[in-house]
Amino acid sequence: MESNPATSRLTAIALSFMAVIWVSPFSWLILNAFNPLSTGQLEIPRSIGLDNFALAVSGNAGRQFLNSMLIAAGTATLSVVVGISAAYPLSRLRIPGRNAFLWTLVLLRMLPSAGVLVPLYFAAQRGGLLNQFGVIIALTILNLPFTLLLLKNFFDTVPIELEEAAYVEGASLFQIVTRIVLPMSRAGIAVVWFFSFTGAWNEFLLPLIFARVQDAFPMSVGLYAAFGQQGAINYGFLTAFSIIYAAPAIGVYFLLRRNMNTGFAGVGVKG
Amino acid sequence: MKNQANPWLTSNLLVLGLGMLPAALLIGALLYFTAWAFAFSFTDLALVGRKSVEWSWVGLQNFERLFTRRGFLESLWTTVIFVFFSAIVGQSVLGFLLAALLRGSQSTIRTVVEVCIMLGWLLPDIVAAFLWSATTAQTGLINQLIVVPLGFAPINFINEYALPIVTIANVWKGTAWSYLLFSAALDSVSREVVEAAKVDGATPFQRIWMVQLPIIRPHIATNMLFITIWTFTYFPLIYAMTGGGPGRQTETLAVFLYNQSFSRGNLGFGSAISVAMLVIVGLLSLVYLRMLREPK
Repeated sequence: MESNPATSRLTAIALSFMAVIWVSPFSWLILNAFNPLSTGQLEIPRSIGLDNFALAVSGNAGRQFLNSMLIAAGTATLSVVVGISAAYPLSRLRIPGRNAFLWTLVLLRMLPSAGVLVPLYFAAQRGGLLNQFGVIIALTILNLPFTLLLLKNFFDTVPIELEEAAYVEGASLFQIVTRIVLPMSRAGIAVVWFFSFTGAWNEFLLPLIFARVQDAFPMSVGLYAAFGQQGAINYGFLTAFSIIYAAPAIGVYFLLRRNMNTGFAGVGVKG
Repeated sequence: MKNQANPWLTSNLLVLGLGMLPAALLIGALLYFTAWAFAFSFTDLALVGRKSVEWSWVGLQNFERLFTRRGFLESLWTTVIFVFFSAIVGQSVLGFLLAALLRGSQSTIRTVVEVCIMLGWLLPDIVAAFLWSATTAQTGLINQLIVVPLGFAPINFINEYALPIVTIANVWKGTAWSYLLFSAALDSVSREVVEAAKVDGATPFQRIWMVQLPIIRPHIATNMLFITIWTFTYFPLIYAMTGGGPGRQTETLAVFLYNQSFSRGNLGFGSAISVAMLVIVGLLSLVYLRMLREPK
């Protein structure tokens, strides 16, 4: 909005100040990660080097990175595929009480996940699913109510006239969905995929309980385990590992950024 | 959606039904597990030891303990404070202010601020907990940059102001969500309406308060609903920063639930806590959904 230049300059200064405050906690992370002689204190390093990163990617870290990737990408993709195939009918067929049902599910899911952890664990144990695949399924189950609600909202915004026109032209259901509905709700699907991805990438409790062996640890559990491993805490390792761990979620966001911002508009629409 | 006679849908009901099948199965599993968690709350099931095998039904005993023993009510109060200040006051208000201010700003500033806020949100919970522990430590950023230069002795913030620090950390982490949502909501307010108000002589404050806010009220309600519930059950950040301490100062219900279930092994009592949390969350949601439904 075109307000007068003095106020807008003042706002700009205030906003920049705010941005600086916002990123200032990162100083500790960066200073320690690039300091080979890091002590965990906030200080300007005497020498700068990548030793910590070399240490962080050697050993178990590569394996843990792959585990995290598998869990996060697997959960996100499974959630989106299962979600789409159910959300399209939910959006288009007039099933009585579907909105109330979806909202109930979302509320039910607000039960803290520690609450359903024990039954989930028993079930996975019985089904022989105490591994990555089990984690993916468990996380998908926990994600699904939210995924369904969001995807249905996005599909609701695709005008049905387009589908009618396509049908008149002789398109099949499959063609209608893949050529019209999915491309038009691309932004929404990106948002849902991204939420599931970061959620699974950050998830700590579930893999901690499901993955019993070192080889199956994702990075979140690895980071936690690294805390007490060498007796004294190696802050250089810890901070470098944290940066590597945080990078993919941030990277994925910036890849999807354009889609995300439009996709968010749909989140606010009432269900 | 309005038109039921859509031939490509009605002739493919079977396919659509099959499409819903996997989701229905997984939702069924979710309901089954939740029911199981409910059932646990009427037992004295334990994580280890004799009662993990030979548990018995104890009726409402666990729910009585919520109110007769110390812990639950204190945690509830801590949670209320935490949710009110970090979600409603911090994230929502700050998120809205940022969204409103950044709309009028240059695109470079907008991008920079947006990226800065997003970084906090995108950071994994455990890493965020590290950052805030380090920043508020005795040799951390706040002490080195503000407290010591002003001539005070360094303060161990996490010990002395645990709840405020955890609250601020959560504002830092969560504001991006509210910002993004409000930003998208403000985009949906048509330019003409705002311009008309301007022509009529409304001040910038009036334009926001009396024109834009009422229009985006459904978005506000949705946002409040989501962040209240998330914050209410939010666990990793607090647990990794303080573990609920010092004493019980930061033991929110989610931390209390975890400590009771997995540190002390009282699964039955833990389930009763989660059922109580669900009831509270349900009541809160009803309030917000009313806000959402009310006609303009």
